[in-house]
Amino acid sequence: MRRLTPLLAFLFLLPSPALAQKLELAVSLSPAIITFSSGDPDTVPLLTAPPLQLTYRIRGNGNSPWSLTVLAAGDLIAGASRIDISNVTWVATPAPPFQNGTLSKTVPQRIASGTGNVNPDSIGSISFRLANSWTYDLGSYTQTILFTLSAP
Amino acid sequence: MRLTVPVLLLIVLVAAGSAPAAQTSNATLNASINSAARLSLSSAALTFPDADPDTSPSIQAAQGPITVTAKARTSPNGTVTLTVRATDELRSGLNTIPASNITWVASGAGFTNGTLSATTAQPIATWSGSGERTGAHTFFFRNLWSYATGTYTLTMVYTLSAA
Repeated sequence: MRRLTPLLAFLFLLPSPALAQKLELAVSLSPAIITFSSGDPDTVPLLTAPPLQLTYRIRGNGNSPWSLTVLAAGDLIAGASRIDISNVTWVATPAPPFQNGTLSKTVPQRIASGTGNVNPDSIGSISFRLANSWTYDLGSYTQTILFTLSAP
Repeated sequence: MRLTVPVLLLIVLVAAGSAPAAQTSNATLNASINSAARLSLSSAALTFPDADPDTSPSIQAAQGPITVTAKARTSPNGTVTLTVRATDELRSGLNTIPASNITWVASGAGFTNGTLSATTAQPIATWSGSGERTGAHTFFFRNLWSYATGTYTLTMVYTLSAA
């Protein structure tokens, strides 16, 4: 038992992933800045940003499910003015695994999902759209959105 | 005691396997909302039919109420103003009738009654902040025996502005 004690201590000190199946997740965006240009709401009811390229990779996931979600940190804000983030929607391809949706600041919204591994890298294209309205105040609005690739 | 090691290893592995793995990436949304304005009228022409001044001292425009739709973007609590001005008096050859003989009665939030002028833009409506507003105004012509006979015309210019 005295010989085993250092071994047991070593095992407990190891980072858990080192002992678990080697799961590797990677997600990246290009560009990381999504810009909507202004337009007349009557002629341009939807402001469309240039497509965002999302690159992702999943290794060591076996046959387990994975999902990619997006969550806004809040509404679009310009000083005291705000545009509800639910006015931002997206169209994503290819489908599957990608799906269209509407941004939320409270609940992560699924943008893609699947099972198993994605190896080598795979790419999705996401076009964000902002519903244009005469009610918006003038301003330069901004907000951060967080993409999360997860597997159990 | 020989069972101790496998049992402990199992605990460690189960714990490691139950923790979800996640990878994140941020993006920034930017949206520029610039100034814009759009104005539309339900009719671009007004006609006042001839009538006996004693029985019809005020003649309503044949088109009835003119619906005005004003859309504008401005800064928070910025002022949006709609005005109208006549480019000249009512004119029929050498004969004229002052534009001020045309008045209007308005309906709709922010809209006001008024009298046409050939010298000064007259307010039709005022609002605060961005948005789309709709109202109506009905034009009336003051009918007098003193007018020379003829077909009189003038042009009205509507101006929608935001500050």
